[in-house]
Amino acid sequence: MRINDMKNKKMTRKGQLQMTETIAILFIFFILLLFGVIFYFRYQKIAFQEKQEELLAARAMESTLKALFMPELICSRGEAEPEDNCLDVLKLNATQETIQQYLDEYYFEIFSYATITVQETYPENKMWVLYDKPKPEFTRKEPTFFVVTLRDELAGTEQPEYGFGYVSVTVYS
Amino acid sequence: MKIKKDVRGQMEAVGLVVIVILIALGMLFMATFALKSDPQKKIFTRKGLAYSTMSALMKTTVSEKAACYSLSQGTPKIGGDVIEDCAKYRDVDTSIYQCIGPYSGKALHSCDFLAEMVKYSLNNTLGSWNKNYEFHSQLIPFQGEEPIDIIQPVVVGGCPKWKERDSSGLFPINTEAGLVENSLYLCD
Repeated sequence: MRINDMKNKKMTRKGQLQMTETIAILFIFFILLLFGVIFYFRYQKIAFQEKQEELLAARAMESTLKALFMPELICSRGEAEPEDNCLDVLKLNATQETIQQYLDEYYFEIFSYATITVQETYPENKMWVLYDKPKPEFTRKEPTFFVVTLRDELAGTEQPEYGFGYVSVTVYS
Repeated sequence: MKIKKDVRGQMEAVGLVVIVILIALGMLFMATFALKSDPQKKIFTRKGLAYSTMSALMKTTVSEKAACYSLSQGTPKIGGDVIEDCAKYRDVDTSIYQCIGPYSGKALHSCDFLAEMVKYSLNNTLGSWNKNYEFHSQLIPFQGEEPIDIIQPVVVGGCPKWKERDSSGLFPINTEAGLVENSLYLCD
């Protein structure tokens, strides 16, 4: 009788120990799982933000290229190939007004929410604000710069004068 | 008893496998972060900017305000007349073009004017956007000869080979003194 009691007590203690061990293992497992879930959701959040930034950057590139190759601005001479990295000052002066006039009807479809400026750094310091439509209450903006030469047909004596400047395209999201 | 021991052993093996899988997943995440390449925009902008800057600089003509003295008519082009003049008369005190520098406000030798003009143009664009750059203009007199710098390289921040950098590519200009190769390196 006594021997049986001893055996039962020993077995119960062993069972209790095993249960505590199992609970401890499960507790650690769920802690690890929780860490994993938190890490995964943080990663997802960062990945989503990065994706948004990537999309904005892609839009910035697209808008910059569109602005650089706009027939309204690029240096052309009759039917000859247009000059790359060159904007015509005469066209710039005229286009500034045209873009303002047809901003919502036509140019918004091309550039969406953006600001496009052309800055001359040599020989003068002139600035042209071609397109200005910032997004109301924007959260992020992405500026892109491109250096261009500015051809002025009226400045040179025999040949046109080529100035130095840059195009700045800022997109908003 | 033996069966009980086997089951326990199997369970321990499964636990080990779970731990290995968790570690592998963690390492995979870390590798994804570490091996992330530069965003497309950064590469596009740096490459495009280096090329467009060089292309624009080479096309730029010296303004009438610089009062360049020359026998030829019209405004001298940086990537043509000025570089050619500098390559030809780099060892002579006077050159054909004596233009007023944008910084010094004095009539300078074409090589000094070129150096000042490059510094002025790049400082107002790349410099104002906190970019590091290097401009080189080298004369290759004859094939196989060592290139000579016609002006001191314009270095801001510096773009050594080990740094992530993009080049504008070579902008060669054929002159009477030889071939002048101009290049611009851009890095962040």
